[in-house]
Amino acid sequence: MLGMLTRRVAASVVTALLASVVVFLLVRAVPGDVVQQMLGQTSDPAAEQALRLFFGMDRPVHTQYFEWLGGAVRGDLGTAWVSGRDVLDLVGGALFVTLELTFLTLILATVVGVPLGLVAGIREGKVIDSVVQSFSVIGLSTPIFWFGLLLLIGVSAVLGWSPPLSYESPVQGLGANLQVMVLPVLSLALLQAAAYAQFVRQAVISAVGEQYVVTARAKGMPERVVLFKHILRNILVQLITFGGLLLIQILGGAVVIESIFGLPGLGRLLLTSISARDYPVVQGGLLVVVLMSLLVNLVIDVLYRVIDPRLKVG
Amino acid sequence: MLAVVLASVLMLGACSSVDQGGNGSPSKDISVGPSAGESDLYGPPAENAKQGGSLTVASMTEPPSLDPYHQASDARIQFTGLMYQGLMYESASGTALPLLAEDVSVSDDGLTYTFKLREDVMFHNGDLMTSEDVKYSYDYIRDAENGSPGAGDFQSIEEIETPDDATVVLTLSQPNSALLMTLTNKYGGVIPAGYFDSPDAENQMNVESVGTGPYKLVELRKNSNLTLASHEGYWGDEGPYIDEIVFEFMPTSAAIVVALQNARVDLAVLPRIQDAEQLQGAEGIAIETFPSLNHKALDLDGNYPPLDDVRVRQAIASAIDKSVVAQAAAPGQHQVLGTITAGMQDSWGLPLEEVPFQERDVERAKELLAEAGLEDGFDIDLTIINGYDWMNPAAVVITQQLDEVGIRVKTKKVELGTWIENFQQAKMGFTMNDWGSQPDPNLLFYRHFHANPEGSDFRNWDNAEASKLLDEGIATADQEERASIYKEFQKVLGETVPTVMLYSPEYLVARSTKLENYVQHPSGWFFGLVQAYLVE
Repeated sequence: MLGMLTRRVAASVVTALLASVVVFLLVRAVPGDVVQQMLGQTSDPAAEQALRLFFGMDRPVHTQYFEWLGGAVRGDLGTAWVSGRDVLDLVGGALFVTLELTFLTLILATVVGVPLGLVAGIREGKVIDSVVQSFSVIGLSTPIFWFGLLLLIGVSAVLGWSPPLSYESPVQGLGANLQVMVLPVLSLALLQAAAYAQFVRQAVISAVGEQYVVTARAKGMPERVVLFKHILRNILVQLITFGGLLLIQILGGAVVIESIFGLPGLGRLLLTSISARDYPVVQGGLLVVVLMSLLVNLVIDVLYRVIDPRLKVG
Repeated sequence: MLAVVLASVLMLGACSSVDQGGNGSPSKDISVGPSAGESDLYGPPAENAKQGGSLTVASMTEPPSLDPYHQASDARIQFTGLMYQGLMYESASGTALPLLAEDVSVSDDGLTYTFKLREDVMFHNGDLMTSEDVKYSYDYIRDAENGSPGAGDFQSIEEIETPDDATVVLTLSQPNSALLMTLTNKYGGVIPAGYFDSPDAENQMNVESVGTGPYKLVELRKNSNLTLASHEGYWGDEGPYIDEIVFEFMPTSAAIVVALQNARVDLAVLPRIQDAEQLQGAEGIAIETFPSLNHKALDLDGNYPPLDDVRVRQAIASAIDKSVVAQAAAPGQHQVLGTITAGMQDSWGLPLEEVPFQERDVERAKELLAEAGLEDGFDIDLTIINGYDWMNPAAVVITQQLDEVGIRVKTKKVELGTWIENFQQAKMGFTMNDWGSQPDPNLLFYRHFHANPEGSDFRNWDNAEASKLLDEGIATADQEERASIYKEFQKVLGETVPTVMLYSPEYLVARSTKLENYVQHPSGWFFGLVQAYLVE
């Protein structure tokens, strides 16, 4: 286990480093730079030069990269060019919002999607299966931005209510926080629940045909025990893998949802920073995203081995 | 639940599409907003104004930073105009009024400007303003070393002197009839002497404001909101009336409409007429239109063949029917232009009937193409910018109109960053554009159209006659004489077509009816909030 962990961590570090190089080069490959964005339609060469020197953009790219990496390793992601704020503060504040959005969504998607999938899988071909199937198809084929807008406009039209505009953290006020989060979470969770239900249904259907289920049923075990003790346990590894994938997918959807609902999360921060060509924020923000997906994968790998002893050897 | 929501939304959609039908004329619930008088600072004087309250304003744009010295974008200026003040104020009608100055006198040779400062002007930090602060501020911005994008505007200033605490004397190297307008609120603003000596000063402006304006900064939250509070020590007697203003940054117009309907927002400038239509009949919301200094244009790069041939440019101008383009892009909410932006047409504009190629003439366009040896027409890419929604319908109409004379247009959509890069390298090609301005002909035309290196000549027009007229314009103090020079310039502009000015959109402002006396400034900046007040 320890050896596996060491190997995986080492691989993650290499991946993160590679990703950071790619990100560093990519943001610079996008046409236009921060100076042009700041000066806009006024083009004054003297002012441009002064700003470029100020940001250190006159130096070779590799010098800039290693300087940035040196800082990043020490936990210093530098200063945002446009706003002059500490990147770690900016990214940290935004990350909190995105993580809250992501985890609330994952919980809701699991609570809704897994039971629906279990029921549909067990009752394959029955009415309830068709209902769940329809829900899945609708959910999987609905674009997130469209559904988010639909919820916002629909809730306002039917209930005469719209969410408060300023994000408050749960610590500042749980009620206010939930009011802000409810629609964004619903918009993401319903679609992800559909994906989850579809996946669980398939897993259950293929498990039902397995020898161990047939044996368990032949032994006269109650259906409840067969479902929870045998089927669910056996497909748990797959469920967790899928949950991990879903988590990363939710992060992607968060970019869109944050912009629709005006949440100050990481997705929106990255979007505005990319259009402002604020490289330090983009680099810092994407580094965090990369580290998070690596961490999710690592945790899933460890969980596999905890849940399924057969994998311990490998 | 979902089905109910879905059905009601579909119904909503159906209703608004009924409203949109017809000829696209302005809807009856939208009225023309009030206007500020010629000598009004910030807005018309408020009668029976009530003090107090908190106002929430929705904004689709967010200031990248609040530093009026180093940030050029309009998204910054519209907010900082409430916190920082220059010596002068850009009135809605296009004249510069004394703001921090009480009185201005100009020497006969137009080279010496003497400003008498207002007394009792207090900075947000509680210090009193003196002439030293004024000198420091303008010296800082005009020094190119300090990296202000506004530095070029202040180039004609040679020296700033302060004979006493309440007097500032500006000496110019050459006459500059636009100087007073330059000293308004776009760049800089007076700050305490020595402010930028502290190493973190630029960033500090996002935390604490140091201006003299009616509002001061409380907090700027990235991707969230900007909160301002009224400045207790403000020198003016009229306004500000509202205690607190919160600008909420909302990236989608649908969210803004919903927030207005649910009284989460009291004021918003709507991006599209469709948004106004969705708000029709909503209780407690008034929608008004205001003229703007913004203008939409089709720009023609003189280095981009075959646009290097003046006859080809004239053919394009002849082939376009501006009113159809404007009607498609901004139905019912626009003013068709000749050679100057709408807010300045009356004071500085060449009368529309005198503008060359103003009327569509397909035959003339074909003749001109034939003269240029292009009787079979040609293919050309038209650049439009991602995020500027009006460009899509406008490009469709222009493509059709040009097709009728044999010019085959392919629309190419680019991201703003890409566009700005092309623009700064003077490689605009054939492109749609969206321009803002200050209400002065020199500030509108000089940088755009004077040949390099004095101007920037973004369109590679390189027209010596035009440059000469622009030089005369800036050196002439008499306003009538100035106007005739700029009209002469506009004839050249219309005749040789470096640009086809299409239309100025009108601002569509939705406000809660409990907000009174709000006037949208033609620049799009939020000056009008100073004279506005809340009733309950």
